Amino acid sequence: MSPVSSKQRQFDALVRGYSGDLFRYAYWLCGEEALAQDLVQESFLRAWRSLDSLRETGAAKAWLITILRREHARLYERKTPQLVDVDDVEVADDREALTPEGAGEDALIRAAMLKLDVKYREPLLMQVLGGFSCEEIARELNISSAAVMTQLFRARQKLKAILGGEPIEAQVYELR
Amino acid sequence: MNCVEFRRQLAIDPHASAADFVQHRAECPRCAEAHARALTFENGLARALNVAVPAQLAEAILFAQTTAERRRRTGLRRISMFAVAAALVLAIGVVGMRAEAKPLSLQAVEHLRKEEDVLVLTKPIAADEVSEVFAKRGVVLKQVPDDISFVAPCPVGEHRSVHVVMPTADGPVTVIYVADQKLAAAEDFERDGLRGRSMPVGNGTLILLAKSSAEFARIGNLWRAAIAG
Repeated sequence: MSPVSSKQRQFDALVRGYSGDLFRYAYWLCGEEALAQDLVQESFLRAWRSLDSLRETGAAKAWLITILRREHARLYERKTPQLVDVDDVEVADDREALTPEGAGEDALIRAAMLKLDVKYREPLLMQVLGGFSCEEIARELNISSAAVMTQLFRARQKLKAILGGEPIEAQVYELR
Repeated sequence: MNCVEFRRQLAIDPHASAADFVQHRAECPRCAEAHARALTFENGLARALNVAVPAQLAEAILFAQTTAERRRRTGLRRISMFAVAAALVLAIGVVGMRAEAKPLSLQAVEHLRKEEDVLVLTKPIAADEVSEVFAKRGVVLKQVPDDISFVAPCPVGEHRSVHVVMPTADGPVTVIYVADQKLAAAEDFERDGLRGRSMPVGNGTLILLAKSSAEFARIGNLWRAAIAG
């Protein structure tokens, strides 16, 4: 039996450590479970081919997200994805793990997220799902930190407006 | 920082920890209330975004990669034995770069925190399914404990592990069996508000996590009998 290479072990650890996070990120980028799986698999195959360029283990998640975003962009260059009515979307979910109230609330938030423009959705995903700082998001999106802060501000503004249907300024500042 | 600036920062990053943000929150009761509401919203948002990951996703990716890699290596061998030798030299050259792992107990707690949703499950899982998941980790169960509400071949850090949840009268007990690392001795620990016990069992390590350790002895014995016989 041939010994497993250290590169293979490193890749194995990357897949086991980050495939879940990457899938969730892909899902919220494209809104389709099967497409998200394909995107994640293709991204990891590209990551394997350029694994030697990963210098710091602490940068692995950001590196993988960069690959995933490029793969997602390539996909959109190759084909126009079918448009899905967000009201018809059923998100993969462990329903038994949620209370009826929790499941209902989650469904509302998920539908609202899919209604957000990608320009606002992406930085919010990076912050909430990825745990990235504004500076890290700015580097990844190749925009200024100030622009990221504006997009995060507006993302929450819009999300709360979709969920509550209340006047946006009152929602965000809550200085009523 | 005034109230408007605070509320703007709150909408940008509710988890901000800048000194002026924290100071204003401490001094302004209304903004402190707004902060609490924002954190509730953020928790709901994080929970909603945490969609279920397809079972066996990591295995499917690794299978695709190893298959592609084998095909590529075969092609390379045909083209040039020298190229294969160079790849082997490169592989040998990077041995030892693996970062030192965190303690198993910490990795187990971090894993549990990522999958807290499964703690509320109560429907029993069939014994066959439990055996099948352990078999994927190379562990043949001699018997299957009752009252298992969740089982999955989860990776804990870089380790090949099985994640189990067992509801009890004292709350759910998370059982993590790390199949590829055996601790030298049992130890109790407390991390992040959870009580824990890790113990060598079979060729691996059994880790129990719960808010109370009341059921640890009973459940530990069940799994020792199931794995080591």
